[in-house]
Amino acid sequence: MKKLSHPPRLAVALFDWYCGTAAADDLRGDLDELYYRDINRMSVMRAKFRYWKHCMELITSYALKKRKQKAAVSTFSSNSFHPAMLKNYFLIATRNLARHKFFTIINVLGLAIGMSICLLFIAMLSFIWQYDTFHSNNDNIYRVISETNSVNDNREFASAPSALADKLSENIEGITEVVRINRSLNSVVKFENTEVSLAGYFTDPSFLNVFTFPLLKGNSHTALSKPNSIIITEKAAKKLFGSEDPFGKMVTLDNLGECVITGVMHELPKNSHLKFEILASYSTILAAEQATPSVKDWHESRTSYVYMLLPDNASTENIERYLQSVSQAYLRDENFHISFSLQAMNDINPGPDLYNQIGPSWDYTSISIFFVLTLLILIPACFNYANISISRALKRMKEIGLRKVMGGQKDQIFLQFILETVIITFLALGLSYYIFVIVRNEFVSMVVAGPETLDLSIDFQTLLYFAVFALLVGLLAGTIPALYFSRLTPVQALKSKPTGSSTRFSFRKVLTVFQFALSLGFIMSVVIVYNQYRQTLNYDFGFQQANILDVDLQGTDPEIFRNEFSKLSSVQTLSMSSHVMGTGSVDATWIVDRVKSDSVEVFQMFVDQHYLSNLGLHLLAGENFTDNAAANANRVVVNEEFLHQFKIKNPHEAIGQTFSLADNHDVIVTGVVRNFHYLHLREPIKSFFFRYDKTQFHVANIKVVSTDIFTTISEMESVWKIFGGEKKFEAKFFDDEIGEAYAFYFSMIKICAFLGMLAISISCLGLLGMVVFTVENRVKEIGIRKVMGASTQTVTILLSRDFAKLMVIAAMIATPLTYLFFDKLYLQAQRYKLPIGVSEIAISLFIMLALGLATILSQTMKAAKANPVDTLRSE
Amino acid sequence: MKGYIGEFEELVLLTIASLGDEAYGVSIKEDIEMRANRTISIGALHSTITRLEEKRLLKSRLGEPTQERGGRSKRFFELTHEGKAALHEMKNLRDELWKISKTTLSLGK
Repeated sequence: MKKLSHPPRLAVALFDWYCGTAAADDLRGDLDELYYRDINRMSVMRAKFRYWKHCMELITSYALKKRKQKAAVSTFSSNSFHPAMLKNYFLIATRNLARHKFFTIINVLGLAIGMSICLLFIAMLSFIWQYDTFHSNNDNIYRVISETNSVNDNREFASAPSALADKLSENIEGITEVVRINRSLNSVVKFENTEVSLAGYFTDPSFLNVFTFPLLKGNSHTALSKPNSIIITEKAAKKLFGSEDPFGKMVTLDNLGECVITGVMHELPKNSHLKFEILASYSTILAAEQATPSVKDWHESRTSYVYMLLPDNASTENIERYLQSVSQAYLRDENFHISFSLQAMNDINPGPDLYNQIGPSWDYTSISIFFVLTLLILIPACFNYANISISRALKRMKEIGLRKVMGGQKDQIFLQFILETVIITFLALGLSYYIFVIVRNEFVSMVVAGPETLDLSIDFQTLLYFAVFALLVGLLAGTIPALYFSRLTPVQALKSKPTGSSTRFSFRKVLTVFQFALSLGFIMSVVIVYNQYRQTLNYDFGFQQANILDVDLQGTDPEIFRNEFSKLSSVQTLSMSSHVMGTGSVDATWIVDRVKSDSVEVFQMFVDQHYLSNLGLHLLAGENFTDNAAANANRVVVNEEFLHQFKIKNPHEAIGQTFSLADNHDVIVTGVVRNFHYLHLREPIKSFFFRYDKTQFHVANIKVVSTDIFTTISEMESVWKIFGGEKKFEAKFFDDEIGEAYAFYFSMIKICAFLGMLAISISCLGLLGMVVFTVENRVKEIGIRKVMGASTQTVTILLSRDFAKLMVIAAMIATPLTYLFFDKLYLQAQRYKLPIGVSEIAISLFIMLALGLATILSQTMKAAKANPVDTLRSE
Repeated sequence: MKGYIGEFEELVLLTIASLGDEAYGVSIKEDIEMRANRTISIGALHSTITRLEEKRLLKSRLGEPTQERGGRSKRFFELTHEGKAALHEMKNLRDELWKISKTTLSLGK
């Protein structure tokens, strides 16, 4: 029987809900009647669909709107918006804020703290968004990026083989300019007696046409056309030439010889993803003697980049297609596949995380992590506000009731409270801007290479963003209380009876627990990272670092150095090396793998025959370098990981094997040492070997036996003067240098401490608000209890108990989570992890509980001590 | 009388007049749909009726609950004096225009 079928229940429910108290019975009747007529004429499905349609038509109709208006609380009700009311809202809001100063301060302070880190984020984002926008062609510049797929890993690189550039300009029409960049220019530049180490690019003359880097001096068309011509930036020129005019001067670059300065460039803007101090013509690298075939090789693309300028609105499709075919034509290999694609310059920063970036990079992942961190701070601050506002609702009930009786509509009450919140957030914005200015520079210095690549100064646009942000925070924080207040019925409000108190209270509890859990997380992070730092310094790196003084040779002859310094009685042993081990700077080279056709990356260091014994490296098989320098030239001492990489099982088997390096040298393994951490502890130990090359020695490692280190060093300084000339004697203790290499822990501690401070202040402010409010409401109860004989102590415990319970729950949630986070995620990335001890957890718990309890007790004890006469007398 | 009435409003008013005591939402809708051979949305109809009520051209009363509408009552509409006057005014205007038309308006073959 079709007659028994019902109209769709959901539609009916929706309609009824929408109508609310409005008189719409006859409309419902019309709907039902139409439905029952339809059902006799068509399928149930269609009838139901038509019922929905009719419902929606009525819901959106003027008829229902009018009826709803009529059904509103008061005859004064009006849906129209009166700007005059805004003035009233503003007035009431400011009066309220002025009257309840304590809560205003708590709210403003909490929001300001929460917002300050967001301001950092916004300023940073707005700067990153303007990366590379200073180029006049920025929309039309692209670069070629490559993606490699080998059997066990896929990587995307920002670099591309330079040979592609020739192919592109030969085969593709419609590319305005192609420019090759090679970033391997990194050399000591000598002018008369000054030596400065400068870094930059080899590049084509078209560089200056494609990118907008104006020259102060020199012709931008010809400056880079001849070999051995150099463009220098203003700042670098000042370092090298002082106040002299650099233009046209001859300078000497090691490896490249004499070069002439053909241009002086304006200092680079901070928001450039290309960072250089000098530019040399591309023909320089091609002409230079040491230019290995790798520069033109397809496989060698670690330092070379290909950029291009396209005409306006050009399609990149045919270039993309060509790039795909190129990779198939020139790079055929079964185990290793490489493909190229275009990346618009506007997508570089912020952009995807690529390997081999040419300059500073801001990838989406790290931006997102920062974003999540800011939200973790901001959202609790907003909830605090909501929490405190709602818990103080009782005080505002009468006002809202009266407004409603006099015709205040839901949306108007809503608007009023949103406006009040926005006023508070703007006050908070002022304060947080102040905090922002204070922490800004500290923050910039914490970011890697921050001072050169990040500028957080404020312009009009950023200020505008800040204002919009404050408005959004106002909406975010204000919505919950505004909804709550606007929903009150006048009767409830005038009776001052809050609704649904039980559910709201549990929401507040959850919030407090969440905030404290978060704070505890940050505190624990600080303590754990600090401990990691301390333990790292005592970690067994596989070599000795005590009592070794590293002296920078600064170009002096290692032999003379050895002869002179060996004479000192305090020098026990002395060795030479190219780097300071374990501090994160080690060269890499490539070995041609005979099994796979791809080459294998091997880290290398150049040392002399005394190095291994001086640093206490353990020789497993074979022998050290010999005293005969010539015989050492082809010898290498490898580490265990090297054997592993080349599938050699026994250290003794390795002795005598030969390997060919990428630069066509053959080397013979003569010794194997036990694994040690030549790089940072974060990095895994990989294939590594020691080589012997006198010309590469830059550091002397002196084992010092001395009771008076000051005299020893001054002795050394006087010896240094004999052959070091004017240069300053520069020596550092090895263990200090290792310590410096781990200084990044300090920035992490700083960041965590900063975030933790923010989080804990916000939680404590929120807690303070709640405690003060609860105590205020229970003043009479406390008075009566005391009159009936309760002691101050029991009353304090009674008042504090509930809050203390919340903190214990927070601790129970946060402790395992933080532990897991560090144990599983962070320390996993660390490679050689150190265990987290119980003491770290205990210290963090103590800090959090102490702060939280101090907040609670400061209020409850005051209330418990109050004289019952004072509290009971009034009313 | 302020304002003037639109074509659809006139149609609704006349339909209500023609339905007499039986003018309520669904009957008005069906009558117009049948006579004018066009589909009208229930929302648009009620909106127009509400506007006409606001202009005081219509008044309404609630009827008795009826079985076929799930026990809900109908709201019946009837013309007010102003409503009738507005229709007259409209008709007079039309008649006059018909009368003075200089083109022959008859559709004769």
